[in-house]
Amino acid sequence: MQGENIVLDPRSLITGASAPLLGVALRAWSGTNWVETAVSRLDENALGDAVDALELRLAAGHPGSPPPGPSSSTVAAFDAPPPRSMREWGTEGALDWVRGVFGWATGMPSIKFAQVVLRWSEEERYYLNTAGANCFQRLDRVTAGIVAVAVENGRSEFNNFNVGRLGGREILEPINEATVRETAEGARALLAAKAPPTGPMNVLLDPGTTATFAHESFGHGAEADQFVRERSYLQPLVGQQLGPDSLTLVDDGSIPGGWGSMHFDDEGHPSQRTFLVDRGRFVGALHDRTTAFVLGAVPTGNARRADFLSQEFVRMTNTSVLPGEWSLEELVREAKDGIVLERWLSGIEDPLGGRMQIKVHQGHRIENGKVTELVSSMALSGSVLQFLKDIRAVGKAEKDPEIMPGFCRKGHGDMLPVGDAGTYLLSRAYVGPA
Amino acid sequence: MNGPANLAVRVADRLRGLTVPWDVFAERSRRFEIHLQRGRVELTRGPLLLEGYGVRLLTPSEGQTGVGYRAATDFSEEGVRTAVAAAERLAHFNQFPARHPELPGAPPASPGDLKILDPDLWSDPAGTLEAFGAALGAAFADRPGAVPSFASVKATLVETSIANSTGLEYAYAHTVVETEVAVKAFGGPEGPAPGEYWYTDAARRLETAPLPALATAWSRFAEDTRRAKPPPNGAIPVVLPPEVLGGIIPPVVRFQFSAAARLRDLSVNAGTTVGPESLELGDDGRFDWGIGSAPVDDEGTPQVRHSLVSNGRVGELFFDVLHADALGARSTGNAARSTGFDPTGGAGRKFTRRPGPDATTLVVPAGRGGSDAELLEQVGDGLWVQQIGWASPDMLSGRFGGEIRLGYRIRHGKLAEPVRGGTVGGTVIARDGSSSLLKDAAVVGSEPRLVGAISTPTLAIGSLSVSGDDDRSSVPRP
Repeated sequence: MQGENIVLDPRSLITGASAPLLGVALRAWSGTNWVETAVSRLDENALGDAVDALELRLAAGHPGSPPPGPSSSTVAAFDAPPPRSMREWGTEGALDWVRGVFGWATGMPSIKFAQVVLRWSEEERYYLNTAGANCFQRLDRVTAGIVAVAVENGRSEFNNFNVGRLGGREILEPINEATVRETAEGARALLAAKAPPTGPMNVLLDPGTTATFAHESFGHGAEADQFVRERSYLQPLVGQQLGPDSLTLVDDGSIPGGWGSMHFDDEGHPSQRTFLVDRGRFVGALHDRTTAFVLGAVPTGNARRADFLSQEFVRMTNTSVLPGEWSLEELVREAKDGIVLERWLSGIEDPLGGRMQIKVHQGHRIENGKVTELVSSMALSGSVLQFLKDIRAVGKAEKDPEIMPGFCRKGHGDMLPVGDAGTYLLSRAYVGPA
Repeated sequence: MNGPANLAVRVADRLRGLTVPWDVFAERSRRFEIHLQRGRVELTRGPLLLEGYGVRLLTPSEGQTGVGYRAATDFSEEGVRTAVAAAERLAHFNQFPARHPELPGAPPASPGDLKILDPDLWSDPAGTLEAFGAALGAAFADRPGAVPSFASVKATLVETSIANSTGLEYAYAHTVVETEVAVKAFGGPEGPAPGEYWYTDAARRLETAPLPALATAWSRFAEDTRRAKPPPNGAIPVVLPPEVLGGIIPPVVRFQFSAAARLRDLSVNAGTTVGPESLELGDDGRFDWGIGSAPVDDEGTPQVRHSLVSNGRVGELFFDVLHADALGARSTGNAARSTGFDPTGGAGRKFTRRPGPDATTLVVPAGRGGSDAELLEQVGDGLWVQQIGWASPDMLSGRFGGEIRLGYRIRHGKLAEPVRGGTVGGTVIARDGSSSLLKDAAVVGSEPRLVGAISTPTLAIGSLSVSGDDDRSSVPRP
């Protein structure tokens, strides 16, 4: 993996190169569990030492059952760079673009500080095993964003706009003068935002917040390693109707250009679309080889490692709530009173407790069926199952919802790129300060 | 043990001819992991070996400094040459407002009695992890209603080395441990859904002695989540133990007290009142077993203790070499190659990042509030928050808030029924004199504990906003 990044603000310009992390992870079955070693040096001695260490681990194991499930035997290579690759553009071209965006942002009144960030990476992954799998894929990721900070009377507020996909410099097109000015205006408007209301209320999630809901509620709860550990509130609910017919939720690692997309996972299984909720019914989970074997399912192409030093386990790719049929105006009228949650910031799951927390940067009150005043950051929380029961409508979309870029940790670490998508969604939840 | 490997010198030997100031930061790390499922080994990993370095060039450029940085894992002559060429190319593009940054010279004469290495882990990492797994299982052996449904321990053994163009050559060894335990409570005739308490920690050592007591506490917390009700709604007194404060205070202080924020006019200002006269807040780069403790920072400047807030007023900020020069100050030994996301500070992968000013271990000294039980008596009625989903503080505005995963009502000076759900939030630091966590810390406990990046006692906050079960939405106005 290697890449470059540029960060420009009023006081400094930093162009950097990410470390060309190169290494190999070795995995073997001890008879009772997997054992792994890894090494960043690829010379014969270092690799020999890694194999010796693995064999030492195996010798200490206890002969038992064969490895769980069949190994992948996929043979494929996806090695083409994107048509408009960042490498071709070069550092100078990228710098010109960054300076242009920065100029748009800093021309605005009340904007005290702005920062433009552009990052790209080229990732090459090989997977080989004793069953003959031989997979290679190249993944080029580009992400960029603008942050604008407004300050007045001791109060500071920021606003940001980000893009990120697999591909080349066409990904940067949504960042233009209009979107940059809108971002800066957003920061300035927040200086006057009121504190949000608190307590249980009707909540209208914007597309990004709905996407985060998809990730934190069903995404993590449907990672089948949590089933094996008997640590998912969803496990006893497979096959049950949990939400309205208008709710369908999928994980799809095969979406072309999706931030969390890949050709195959880190066990050599092709990526695919997996339905988690189909018209309100909870129908499936995400699997790697081990969980599929234990639970009598098939791998879904969701075995992922953050890098060669990180473990493989079940992870999401691009998780989406598919569009419904309600217009935004209809949703606001239906809510009557409540709040629109806008511009998600973060989320966290509770796999066994079945709760979720989603923080958003801002919102608008809904009063008497109309969108009214702007309010500052807040957190949505509550029981996922209750939230599903309370879903009253899902918004429509003129085209496929855009996959938004994000990063996900599982437990303590192992951060990797995941995409989420959604449309407006109306339900009820706790809202509180954040 | 042998002396730590000084990989930086191997790289530095190839840089002697450069005419601009330079430094090299290198790491050799070995990680070992054990993952347990209900006491059974699910996966063992290790050694996971990573060796790498970062070359930084400080090139004078039109009254500023062009900083070129390149990390690499190839230690061959060709690999170093490639890394230096890349750093030179990047330095040409970059601009930082430092005119004459001075890299540190001689290393500390003696690191002293710095506690940053677990000797058992260092000598037998795999065996120590297995022993911990067995001890964890034993701690739950007689608890039929609770089980560690999942646990993982990741131990990283790191040899860090630094060399630079002023002649500094220094190396030290340290250990970092990440622990995660999910305790599940179940059973009983009443039949409520299972409950879970999720414990995570980042520390310098792995201890088995506290496990029986911890297992008792974790089991009780998990059981209490099964019968917890939503909290009240409104502005009420809230008590936050160190485990919760560790997720709230550090992210905001790390940004607002950094020279990087000062350079951009986004920091707190020296002399600003941020709390009562009794409020003290320090940064201690040599705190016993602190995850940020080290003999030198990531540029080679000796780490020390210094005051951030004294008598309620902002004192010193965090400086590294570049920001110190740009702002006419001296480095405070706070150069760190970390990200805000990694609770371990990125040990073993620091070489992949440039240094910048950051905290080491934040220290809130003991107050006069006594033990937790004594502090509760002074509070009388309110809410004890045991765990928040994610406080996710906004480092700029200082606002924080998150779901209450487990808490307890405080009634008549004692912990009462458990609560769960809703949110609690507020502001860590307010620069305009309005309410904040630091300003409204009405009672400061007397028993500080080290939790990740902060050592702090329990704090009782006069009033925080809680969103709970009252179906009448309240609308506070700023």
